[in-house]
Amino acid sequence: MSIEVRNINKRFGNFTALNNISLDLPSGELTALLGPSGCGKTTLLRIIAGLEQPDGGNVLFHGKDATGSHVRERKVGFVFQHYALFRHMTVFENVAFGLRVRPRQERPSEAEIRRKVHELLELVQLDWIADRYPAQLSGGQRQRIALARALAVEPQVLLLDEPFGALDAKVRKDLRRWLRRLHDELHITSVFVTHDQEEALEVADRVVVLNKGGIEQVGTPDEVYDQPATPFVYQFLGNVNLFHSRVHDGFAKIGELEVAVDGHEDTQNAAALAYVRPHDIEIHRTPENGSTFAATVVHIHAIGPIVRLELARADATEYVEAELTRERFRELALKEGEEIFVKPRSLRVFIDPNPAVA
Amino acid sequence: MSAVISHPLSVLPVPASRATQEPAWVRWLLISIALGWLGLFLFIPLAAIFTEALRKGLEVYWASLVDPDALSAIKLTLIATVIAVPANLVFGIAAAWAIAKFEFRGKQLLLTLIDLPFAVSPVIAGLIYVLLFGAQGWFGEWLQAHDVKIIFAVPGIVLATIFVTFPFVARELIPLMQAQGTEEEEAAVTMGASGWQTLWRVTLPNVKWGLLYGVILCNARAMGEFGAVSVVSGHIRGMTNTLPLHVEILYNEYNFAAAFAAASLLAGLALVTLALKSAVEWKTGAELRARNEETSNEH
Repeated sequence: MSIEVRNINKRFGNFTALNNISLDLPSGELTALLGPSGCGKTTLLRIIAGLEQPDGGNVLFHGKDATGSHVRERKVGFVFQHYALFRHMTVFENVAFGLRVRPRQERPSEAEIRRKVHELLELVQLDWIADRYPAQLSGGQRQRIALARALAVEPQVLLLDEPFGALDAKVRKDLRRWLRRLHDELHITSVFVTHDQEEALEVADRVVVLNKGGIEQVGTPDEVYDQPATPFVYQFLGNVNLFHSRVHDGFAKIGELEVAVDGHEDTQNAAALAYVRPHDIEIHRTPENGSTFAATVVHIHAIGPIVRLELARADATEYVEAELTRERFRELALKEGEEIFVKPRSLRVFIDPNPAVA
Repeated sequence: MSAVISHPLSVLPVPASRATQEPAWVRWLLISIALGWLGLFLFIPLAAIFTEALRKGLEVYWASLVDPDALSAIKLTLIATVIAVPANLVFGIAAAWAIAKFEFRGKQLLLTLIDLPFAVSPVIAGLIYVLLFGAQGWFGEWLQAHDVKIIFAVPGIVLATIFVTFPFVARELIPLMQAQGTEEEEAAVTMGASGWQTLWRVTLPNVKWGLLYGVILCNARAMGEFGAVSVVSGHIRGMTNTLPLHVEILYNEYNFAAAFAAASLLAGLALVTLALKSAVEWKTGAELRARNEETSNEH
């Protein structure tokens, strides 16, 4: 089932949590709401679920306005960050809860409930744990039970609030791959909230990047990573180098380096911010006229498959981070303190909206 | 890794660290002061009640308990308790549910009002009802015209008891429910549970021991209340006398054996309450430990 969010506004006192948000979530997709804490992502998820009322705007389920309908009627499966399992019930009873609270005429028989619960527990691979209490489970197990419980009511939409936030790094990685496989199996429209860009890029079909109550960019993981729409998205998704530069007649100048910038042919001498990912930086022993700038190697971190270099620009007080493959690093035979030349492979320039007074 | 470290610890008994302990004489002195104080103010009076009650033999003791006035006082005490405790149970759950699970204007005011009976002297509480419902009170004339008796009658005693025992259940539940948050209730609602189903299946089972604890304290106070009830009762023997008032009357008449016999009932009730309270505390403690383990397991 598709979800549409139309012009949603939400304020808590003087704080604007969501500022006129509109969003389409196509049927069957797994979408990540990604952003730093306080960006409004959880509020948006709770508004979609009906756990929070928007101050203005509409939520549409499958084209029908659901803004006024109660949480109970929305048929959403909601998974909470801290699982919210019923601590006085066994795992079995937790999963059966949604079936047992149905009105008498819709309630399945005891045998049917039994069958359904065991089917769900098998789906999350925890059938052997049915008689335990939540306190006896590990964090990862609890999260899978919470998911099975949410699926028991056959929701049209699955909403997950920081589903892996309270787990340790190893379990987190396993569980998010497992969630992806589960989604591929069930194809239920799902939205999950996360502040972890790696998680969003790895698991989701689409990523919605939020910041300060507004949407920065919506796109596939590739799109938001390779073509960030705003400086914020660039900085939030992965490591990035920031250069202060000036744009003039379609060229951005960073020290001796001059790069052609599309769409800024008529811009006259404007302050700009240029972004380069560390792995898009080439290191050379000799300068190339106009396409490199000089720097000194300050630090070498040669752990793992990738060698990280910290470079100090010769013509400014900025530091640059670069990532090289081991082969390239060996070829160059770099040492700390040596002078080298930096060539950005792909550079993205944004006109600085509020330049520092020079 | 942790198994390797913890193994030698469990084999070798670790001597209590002397660095963090006071010298023996300080410890013994503190323990004796505490025990002496308890003995002087609790154990000796308690023992005195029972010895005084039984001083003239079991027969006299029994006779003073089955005396019609005593039976009537016991009955009235039970009636007041049986009405006041369930009333405050319902009220306490409703108030705690509202305060802990919802945000609304005037929440702080409601909390303060719930504490009012703790802050006000019980005698004043009784006087309020006399001022409201007494012959010269605000509603006095209307009540008289309709032949309804509240003051110096059973309804007044019940009202005063309800007022005095009002905060116990709510006060016990509010912090517990607040600590538990609203996530489990939200989860229940997203799965289609109605308000009632959420209350019965999720909220109440989670607070059942706290609730029982509140009810025990409420019950003890309802049976033992003296001040407020004394003001509204009028001390009519066999009619508006509760057990604590009965004790006072007998004592004032120098009928010590009977007074202490009735008092021994109240003391016995206090002992039973204490035992129940400890049992419930032990149970909630076990649950609290389980929950703490649960939160520490999460990481």
